[in-house]
Amino acid sequence: MLVKDVMTRHPIMVPPEMSAAEAQHIMTENLIRHLPVVGDGKKLVGLVTRQRFAIKPDMMVSLSVWEITRYLSNLTVQKIMLKAKTGEVHTIEATKTVEQAARVMTEQKIGCLPVLDEDGVVIGILSEIDLLRSLQEMLGLPTKGVRVTMRMPNKKGQFAALTTALSQHDLGIMGIGSFPTPRQPDYYDMVLKIPEVTVEQIREILSQVPEQEIVDIREE
Amino acid sequence: MASTNGKVPGGPVLSVEDLAVAYKIRGGEIEAVQNVTFDIQRGEAHGIVGESGCGKSTVTWAILNFLGANGYVKRGGIKFLGQELVGRSSEELRRLRGDQIAMVYQDPMQALNPSMRLGDQMKEVLTVHRGLSDKEAEKRCISMLERVYMPDAANVMHRFPHQISGGQQQRVVIAMALLNNPALLIMDEPTTALDVTVEAAVLDLIAELRRDFDTGILFISHNLGVVARVCNKVGVMYAGEMVEVASTEDIYKNPQHPYTQGLIRCVPKLGSDKASSILYPIRGRVPPPNNRPPGCVYGPRCDYFRDRCREERPELRTLANNVQVRCHFAEEIDPTQWQPSDDLLPPKIRQNGGEEEYIIQVKDLKKYYEVQGSSLKDVFGMSEPRYVKAVENASFNVPKGKTLGIVGESGCGKSTLIKTIIGLEDSTSGKAEFLGLDITGDLTTRTEQLIQELQMVFQNPDSTMNPSYTVGQQIARPMLRFATVPKNQVRSEVIKLLNLMRLGANYFDRLPRQLSGGEKQRVGIARALASRPDLVLCDEPVSALDVSVQAAVLNLLLEVQAEYGTTMIFIAHDLSVVRFFSDYVAVMYLGQIMEIGPADAIYALPYHPYTEALLSAVPIPDPSAKQKRIRLEGTVPSAIRPPSGCRFNTRCPRRHLLPDGGKICETETPPWQEDERGHRIFCHIPRETLLTFEPVIQTKERAV
Ligand SMILES: Nc1ncnc2c1ncn2[C@@H]1O[C@H](COP(=O)(O)OP(=O)(O)OP(=O)(O)O)[C@@H](O)[C@H]1O
Ligand code: SF4
Ligand code: SF4
Ligand SMILES: [Mg+2]
Repeated sequence: MLVKDVMTRHPIMVPPEMSAAEAQHIMTENLIRHLPVVGDGKKLVGLVTRQRFAIKPDMMVSLSVWEITRYLSNLTVQKIMLKAKTGEVHTIEATKTVEQAARVMTEQKIGCLPVLDEDGVVIGILSEIDLLRSLQEMLGLPTKGVRVTMRMPNKKGQFAALTTALSQHDLGIMGIGSFPTPRQPDYYDMVLKIPEVTVEQIREILSQVPEQEIVDIREE
Repeated sequence: MASTNGKVPGGPVLSVEDLAVAYKIRGGEIEAVQNVTFDIQRGEAHGIVGESGCGKSTVTWAILNFLGANGYVKRGGIKFLGQELVGRSSEELRRLRGDQIAMVYQDPMQALNPSMRLGDQMKEVLTVHRGLSDKEAEKRCISMLERVYMPDAANVMHRFPHQISGGQQQRVVIAMALLNNPALLIMDEPTTALDVTVEAAVLDLIAELRRDFDTGILFISHNLGVVARVCNKVGVMYAGEMVEVASTEDIYKNPQHPYTQGLIRCVPKLGSDKASSILYPIRGRVPPPNNRPPGCVYGPRCDYFRDRCREERPELRTLANNVQVRCHFAEEIDPTQWQPSDDLLPPKIRQNGGEEEYIIQVKDLKKYYEVQGSSLKDVFGMSEPRYVKAVENASFNVPKGKTLGIVGESGCGKSTLIKTIIGLEDSTSGKAEFLGLDITGDLTTRTEQLIQELQMVFQNPDSTMNPSYTVGQQIARPMLRFATVPKNQVRSEVIKLLNLMRLGANYFDRLPRQLSGGEKQRVGIARALASRPDLVLCDEPVSALDVSVQAAVLNLLLEVQAEYGTTMIFIAHDLSVVRFFSDYVAVMYLGQIMEIGPADAIYALPYHPYTEALLSAVPIPDPSAKQKRIRLEGTVPSAIRPPSGCRFNTRCPRRHLLPDGGKICETETPPWQEDERGHRIFCHIPRETLLTFEPVIQTKERAV
């Protein structure tokens, strides 16, 4: 899965000249937390997040109520946004993998990445929600079936043994994911989603696979 | 992934809410659009259908802020990507929309600059805003042209708009719109001017693009079949209001509003004919915006009208099945129980008299036009004359009181064929006899009687109507000229015809400009019938009309035929209409009749390969219909140098069934293969093989 497959295309974007109040209104009304700021030709110039609307405490102290009001009404998106030019905005290219995007987001502790094409034009936005949705799809949630977690030693031929067992019974796999078994080195857990079958059938088939163990099985 | 639920963060691409648009006119203003509400999500294609003048285009103009000097948004809002468009200055709008809304019109030339090479127009989009280099822009434009399946894309870049066909122009416009990766694409009748085969290819393309680019599409069309093919949601507009909004499935399978139900009853289903089915026009017509009835606007035309409909204006409300409908009684109305009201008498159909008297017999009729070249040799008349071979060896007979339908793409010679018969063109060679009289001779020798017996109805009634004559005068003229009616009875005879046309005596003194399109067409028919001709030639008589008017005009023609035993030759590009209306059908390609025979035989196996392609392109107003997908490559070749052998050989998807990939098709003229019913196919592939093809269309009711 690549970023372009899971991102939201045609995101809401605003020009830098827009008043900050209006940008805030747009974000609240459309339930969004990130607003890419674009110039001519949809090139990225910045990003507005909800935090950017907060008034800095020192300003609160030094200004009177009237001054704050005036300050706010003159405020433009340009002034409050994170600036792309100075490298404050993390972005990702549409052709990168979902894992790479997730890594940038976790490392930088950010909730969203504007997605750019090769010319720096914003073509989408990738948020935590999009990533969570892609996780569901990878694991085959949208289709009904049996979800089973198999634990196996980390050595060659284990995955093949598993798929062979299933294919011998004419069963296909809808979704798949694997991760190192927590607190048990040299073991892997593999999650499979198998449609059009019952829990009993799967238990029967997979319990025959040597060296492997069913750690969780359920209908979903 | 497209979000399907309006509550998701980011919201819809377009959200129109309670929109009202007014035009200021002398002495006040009219509300062309009222209370229109709908959303378009990413990757969704939302259709709007409805008769002419219902306000479909006005909605798009409001979105684009193109309402002109006298139009304005009176109430409501239009949000594009979460931002209100109404009430903005044009500079603000430009910045808000950026280049994220693109528009495709019916006429591609509205978007193309005729004096600029296509490549330069396309590149401009990328070089000006995106600052791409010329070379990079060129590369992207070519790949976008390839994306829209433009043959020979690199070459097309160097051409001017008039050097490519209409279908190709429309593809360039779509490619150009997509260069900006718009969030919203608005299309107003984008395929209406195209041939059915080209239309099918463009519709495929639109469906594909919506999937690949997640573009929201607002798709306007008067054709229910076209909408069924590309849209997942449909709004039905009537007299400025949205009267029903539902998924495409629901609209066609389970229409809730009486107007939607009426529209669907107006169009012939492909494969149905006049003997087995009836078209039910909707009575009356769309009221003008300044004269809408109180209560429900559809009231005067509705079969379910009750007192409450007059007293209370229905709101657009959501039913239990999630369909939105503007009718007080939607839950109670069951369209399967619908009965035509007494004023909707089905037309009388001419019964098979068993007469085999041919009224018109055509044998090997040919029409070549000489074309002037532009080389020096041509100018001095020294080169070989060149010809457009518009009609080649046409042969057919039409029995008295029957209808021959002619179908084929534009430029295939349909109109030339009938113009040659009626004498608007002289023929090059061959025989044509009408009631036993030779009609190929010098036109000036045609007798008054012959002219009287042959009448014509044109697609565009305006072009043949004298604007300063009243309706009564127009219809009376042929009666007086041919003295078919005693002078003192002319008026009553005209009124009789007007009544037959469902126009009524009060139309007698109206002028053409006071008529709607459908009314003009009916006057045109009345005038053609005034001299009581034996043969009426109709060139696209209903293609410019709304479906409900089309149904009424078709019924009328049937009635005339039953009453007077008139023989008809009927040209139309809508294959469902031709099938419905005709007893015999001829399929033409590039001047050549490819297949001819009884209508039911043409629309069933075996088909000529070209007929098969035509049928697979017909837009069907039934989203569950299964239709084989055959798309012709390339374009119709020039009629000056038509391909040798079989004229269809450059595009035929079936010739590979013959040995050597159908080499014979390039070298030898195909044989006519005829069966006992007179069904003839002009093809090298043996009939037995043609019979093994699968039917093109399968619906629950029938296979075609
Ligand atoms: N500039 C204008 N000034 C006044 N009235 C107008 C103007 N443009 C359109 N109208 C009227 O507004 C109504 C809606 O017109 P509109 O063109 O939106 O209809 P439509 O559904 O697109 O029709 P069609 O199918 O023929 O394209 C009609 O009654 C029309 O006559
Ligand atoms: S409200 Fe009444 S008049 Fe209007 S569509 Fe419904 S039944 Fe017909
Ligand atoms: S003769 Fe050959 S090219 Fe022509 S329609 Fe038949 S198969 Fe196709
Ligand atoms: Mg219109």
